Amino acid sequence: MDLSAWLKDTRLVVCVGSGGVGKTTTAAAIGLWGALQGRRAMVLTIDPAKRLANSLGLEQMGGEPTQIDLAGLPEATGELWAMMLDSRGTFDALIAQVAPSPEARDRILANHVYRAMADAFAGSQDYMATEKLYDLASDGRWDLLVLDTPPVQNALDFLESPGRVVKFLDERVLSWFTAPYEKERVWGGAFLAGTSAFLFRLLGYVFGKEFLDDFAEFLQVFSGLYDGFRQRHQAVMELLDARSTSFVTVCAPTVSSVEVARFFQEELARRGHPRGGLVVNQIHRVEAADDDADGVLGEAARTLGADLQPATAARLVARLGRAHARLRAQSEADHALAARARAAAHGSGGFYQEVPRIEGEVHDLASLEVVGQHLFGDAEEA
Amino acid sequence: MDLTPLLDDRLVLVTGKGGTGKTTFAAALAALQAARGRRTLLCEVDSQRPALDPLVGREVTFAPVRVADRLEAANLVWPETLVAWLKRMVGMERIVRAILGNDMVQRFLDFVPGSQELVTLSAIAEHVERYDCVVVDLPASGHAFSLLDITRSALGLFRAGPVRERVLQLRTVLEDPRTRMFLVALPEEMVVNETLETLARLREHALLGGSPVVVLNRAIPPSLTDDERTLLERLSAAGLVGDAEEFLEAGRWERASEEAVAEAAFRLGQVLGVPPVLVPPAPAAGRERDVMRHVAVQLGRHMGVPRQELAWI
Repeated sequence: MDLSAWLKDTRLVVCVGSGGVGKTTTAAAIGLWGALQGRRAMVLTIDPAKRLANSLGLEQMGGEPTQIDLAGLPEATGELWAMMLDSRGTFDALIAQVAPSPEARDRILANHVYRAMADAFAGSQDYMATEKLYDLASDGRWDLLVLDTPPVQNALDFLESPGRVVKFLDERVLSWFTAPYEKERVWGGAFLAGTSAFLFRLLGYVFGKEFLDDFAEFLQVFSGLYDGFRQRHQAVMELLDARSTSFVTVCAPTVSSVEVARFFQEELARRGHPRGGLVVNQIHRVEAADDDADGVLGEAARTLGADLQPATAARLVARLGRAHARLRAQSEADHALAARARAAAHGSGGFYQEVPRIEGEVHDLASLEVVGQHLFGDAEEA
Repeated sequence: MDLTPLLDDRLVLVTGKGGTGKTTFAAALAALQAARGRRTLLCEVDSQRPALDPLVGREVTFAPVRVADRLEAANLVWPETLVAWLKRMVGMERIVRAILGNDMVQRFLDFVPGSQELVTLSAIAEHVERYDCVVVDLPASGHAFSLLDITRSALGLFRAGPVRERVLQLRTVLEDPRTRMFLVALPEEMVVNETLETLARLREHALLGGSPVVVLNRAIPPSLTDDERTLLERLSAAGLVGDAEEFLEAGRWERASEEAVAEAAFRLGQVLGVPPVLVPPAPAAGRERDVMRHVAVQLGRHMGVPRQELAWI
């Protein structure tokens, strides 16, 4: 099955894979394909190369949804939007959304432990990506969302990140850590008897009592936010598990990225995510029958190079022969690795697509469209 | 850029944008250190997909395994790293077991900001005490930086107690002039951008004592003459098709690679004050160990370690 058929009923595409494999370009090309299909597509990306922003007609990609000008592509009947993940702002915005009151919001934003935690989570863009995703999915302005995930080594990090806050902050934890501070509570002493009291004191000793105080305050304030977090987490997980969500694993013909891709495929299968597929990017293609550069190019080179240094034509032709031989060796290695990646492709109905390396950088919508043609399997064979 | 000071380092932290080959460089660097008679540990950080195994040819565990003469490898996996840390913090095995048996405390440790980073750094620092040199294959540069930066932010959070003491010790290890970051970059715009960003942050926060080293991996040194370039352009514009065009494409490919290398080396050189070390691509995409051998030989040239000393690889 090709990608086009595969994505027909998809509303969310999650692109996963290691860094440097063309994941952002793949995400952008899928978004553009959506616009060409008449859909309203949004590409959520992380730290794209400036040239990719430029290729979408943007000076710089910001943290707000920006519509891409598709005037150069009259056949595009839909819309293409893009935005970049601003992980710093997202967490504070999230707190503001789930806080029951402005006072609770301000108290939490000022807390020591919250600030450190927000920094820690902001560092993990995967968490922010899933949060932002939820916002965009609920927005309703788009019918195709494409998420370019951060290059994580570990699929689990990405899929489990929304659960990290929720996992920790259930009521039992809240009461365990805040009980010692509720002096008026008669049962507090009994609750913290034995092992619990001992462990609590131990944590105070190891981490410092000041930290535990900050931490308890953080939890007390945060307890009001717990329901909001849990609901959000459930909604994000439902979104990721939905039939209308597809995971596209992207890799390049390198040993390490293929290994990461295989790992992702296995994880997705293990988690029972029903829809997934594999794209192998940047495959060198060689079609020339032999490495006889002189027979193919010698005459043209001698004619066009007649006015240059005497040996230039011969040297260049020899060089092209060697370059071509390297390209052939590379191409063979690429195909071997692609086959290895394919062997692990997810499930029986998953799609598989190879995309050749494209000369030059993807620097405008036209070259993005070329990537798309290869990706969706309707590129004309050269 | 002179790489010989690496042979005096106690701790080399290898990182780079994902896909640059940093694991291969970490392994090659460790091999070079061992070849020079230094007791060396090659270390990876809680990787769920162990990257060192295929390079060293055996399973790498939390407890260091022997790879070759003077060379061992370890994987700082969870929860073993945590257990070691707890033993250090609270001393008694029984108490550690009580902590690990308690769900609340487990979750607390999972959640405390930066606790995983602290525990990992602490384990690295312990190894530094035991070996002449520790080479760490860190996570990709963004995560690597937050791992090191925890020694700064944690001081505001933990204002007393053994954790704070340990953080202060870790800072001493990082600030030692023989602790250095080794950045692996590729001649690609995005990768160079991220490398420059990491260099700027390292400088701003002055976390490490030694000055950073940058290598440009898969970098073909420029060799086309001006006349050859001219002729390549003329041929490309001549409207040739089929096999001829494919040969020309191969040529343009290498020309573009050369230009990207020159540009990347220039941008990095401006910030570093000296050009980065260029490591040419391995001859055809080979097996991981072949690539590692190639990288070790290339780095060895800059470190005065001849090929024949690299027996084990």
